[in-house]
Amino acid sequence: MTFAATVATAATAATATSTHPAAPAAGPGFLSPTGVEIAFVLVGLVTFGAALVTVTTRQLVHAALWLVVALGGLAVEYLLLTAEFIAWVQVLIYLGSVVVLLLFGLMLTKAPVGRSPDADSGNRPAALAVAVAAAAALVWVVVDAFRTTWIDLGGPAQGSTEVTGRMLFQNWVLPFEALSVLLLAALVGAVVLSRKRGASDGGHGSDKERQR
Amino acid sequence: MPSIPGSGLAKGLAVTLRTMTRKSVTHQYPEALPELPPRTRGVIGLFEENCTVCMLCARECPDWCIYIDSHKETVPAAAPGGRERSRNVLDRFAIDFSLCMYCGICIEVCPFDALFWSPEFEYAETDIRELTHERDKLREWMWTVPEPPALDPGAEEPKEIGAARKAAEKAGKLAAAQRQEQAQAQAPGREREQEGGE
Amino acid sequence: MNDALDVALRLVVVFAVFLVVPLVVGQTEHKVMAHMQGRLGPMHAGGFHGWAQLVADGVKFVQKEDVVPAEADRRIFQLAPAVALLPYLLVLVAIPIGPGEGAVGQVVDAGIFFVLAVMGVGVLGSLMAGWASANKFSLLGGLRTAAQLLAYELPMLLAAASVAMAAGTVSLPGIVGAFEWWWLPWQIVGALVFFVAGLAELQRPPFDMPVADSEIIFGAYTEYTGLRFALFLLAEYAGIVVLCGLTTVLFLGGWHGPFGADGLGWVWTLLKTAVLAFVVIWLRVSYPRLREDQLQKLAWTTLIPLALAQIALTGIVKVAIA
Repeated sequence: MTFAATVATAATAATATSTHPAAPAAGPGFLSPTGVEIAFVLVGLVTFGAALVTVTTRQLVHAALWLVVALGGLAVEYLLLTAEFIAWVQVLIYLGSVVVLLLFGLMLTKAPVGRSPDADSGNRPAALAVAVAAAAALVWVVVDAFRTTWIDLGGPAQGSTEVTGRMLFQNWVLPFEALSVLLLAALVGAVVLSRKRGASDGGHGSDKERQR
Repeated sequence: MPSIPGSGLAKGLAVTLRTMTRKSVTHQYPEALPELPPRTRGVIGLFEENCTVCMLCARECPDWCIYIDSHKETVPAAAPGGRERSRNVLDRFAIDFSLCMYCGICIEVCPFDALFWSPEFEYAETDIRELTHERDKLREWMWTVPEPPALDPGAEEPKEIGAARKAAEKAGKLAAAQRQEQAQAQAPGREREQEGGE
Repeated sequence: MNDALDVALRLVVVFAVFLVVPLVVGQTEHKVMAHMQGRLGPMHAGGFHGWAQLVADGVKFVQKEDVVPAEADRRIFQLAPAVALLPYLLVLVAIPIGPGEGAVGQVVDAGIFFVLAVMGVGVLGSLMAGWASANKFSLLGGLRTAAQLLAYELPMLLAAASVAMAAGTVSLPGIVGAFEWWWLPWQIVGALVFFVAGLAELQRPPFDMPVADSEIIFGAYTEYTGLRFALFLLAEYAGIVVLCGLTTVLFLGGWHGPFGADGLGWVWTLLKTAVLAFVVIWLRVSYPRLREDQLQKLAWTTLIPLALAQIALTGIVKVAIA
């Protein structure tokens, strides 16, 4: 029994519908939503709401924490789609590291408790337009690409670690390697940038300062 | 001597582990009472019978923490035709232990050995006013005063004992002298009897 | 319906373990630390050697007033202890203590990722507490917590990745199932790195810079009282249990032991976890606190290279065996 299946079971128990959703005889459809599908939609709404609050709230740290909710909601969506590996990596990287880094930055700049008066830039209409355009493009592309693809939630997990690993290293090795080279370049760049100042006045300069 | 890196860390762990295996030194106080040395300055006990209400202790106390009340009584003459005597009677003797700093001067100055150090120490109160202890309490503490420790071997003997011993020796000598005199007084008589008998 | 009952039963058992075992560790810490310092520790609560001291502490914490500072961000301040505590409860669900489905709360396919990811979330609680208290000491504590987490998450992940490579799976029962005794010398460096990094992530001494009481009072928890403070403490001890259990499962072979019947594997797991918990306490008593720069230096210049070397070694041996 996998974790996703348990979540599915719990959701099913909550909505009192069948444990095995996509019954092959009836065929999947939009009109008879199963427990997992309802849960998916609800979590999606929560995620969407959290994301909205993230960009509209004027309290900086609250925005970061709503971002946690949004990212966590995404992880739950991955789980509901039986993509466990991706879900946990999402939590590990985004919640565990990116948000912590964000909060670190906010604390370092002493984000005040309460509203920040300068948190709004006055570009709301433009931002809204860009956001709606981006969302429309993404939704259109995704719907167009996966319109008729159905995930069999009752069968073996299609997003398990093994399946993901096989896909990644058989079909998508080149993008994977390209990405890793990109990240390595970023890493080296960061090291170079941070060392540059240290070499000019840190190497000899610090010695001189110590002698002084 | 080159030390292995990390040996300091290992030593630290060893020290704590060794301490853990040893018996701890904690005394469990309310269950196990501490063994206090005989001269412990716990609390001051009063031996009422020795007190003459001379007020020396109250006057010498740096904290003014000793309260003494007394009155005079007239004692009828001991022998017929004798003079009436007056003496001081103790009404109140209290020590405020919220002021006392345990210097022991009162005990030092008492000329009649009426005050003593007691090792008793469990007399905490919840109200500071209750720390003024009256003479009945001080008398109770008197019974907790330990025997004075024995003198060091070869120490000078205490004055009281010395005086008593001198007096005893003197009396002994006197008695011996008297006996000798008696003996001498009897001896010539006996000689005379002997002479008379011949 | 039977399925739901099974799930409920497992959750209840895990919850009971979550409430009891951290208290046992805490009590052990009281006693072991006392004896390592030549003291006796609690002796009265509960009658026999103060066994109920932490229960008494809990009662005391419940009775205390729950104070929220006037300047604080009320809701986040109140939410933080739950965020700090709940992840450890979730992690406990996934740790197997014996072979088979019966001895684990829930088999998670990507176990290592699940466990490390959720443990990382727990630190958000400290950050929220540090910021929402509106207190400079708390803020400094939160900053140090974040810096420490960023530094030590990486070596921990790398060490865990090494053992996952060795086992060829990321599922926790799978890793223990594949364990052989010679993994112990093979993965010893990884084990040390994992354990040390885990200690640092829990902010246990000697890595307790974020709560250094002589400098910043109690770091992010300075303003907390009563039950919420107790929850933070419980989170710390639950973290010890989780870290020791994880190290046991990943590096010490979980339910494998040199002898003992098949059905008694869980005894081995518990025994190893207990020994590791003892080591955690032992380290706390023995070592002074690391300075902030020493802390960062240890992570970036010692643990990460060691973890990378371990991964290289694991890869070489793995290829050589295959």
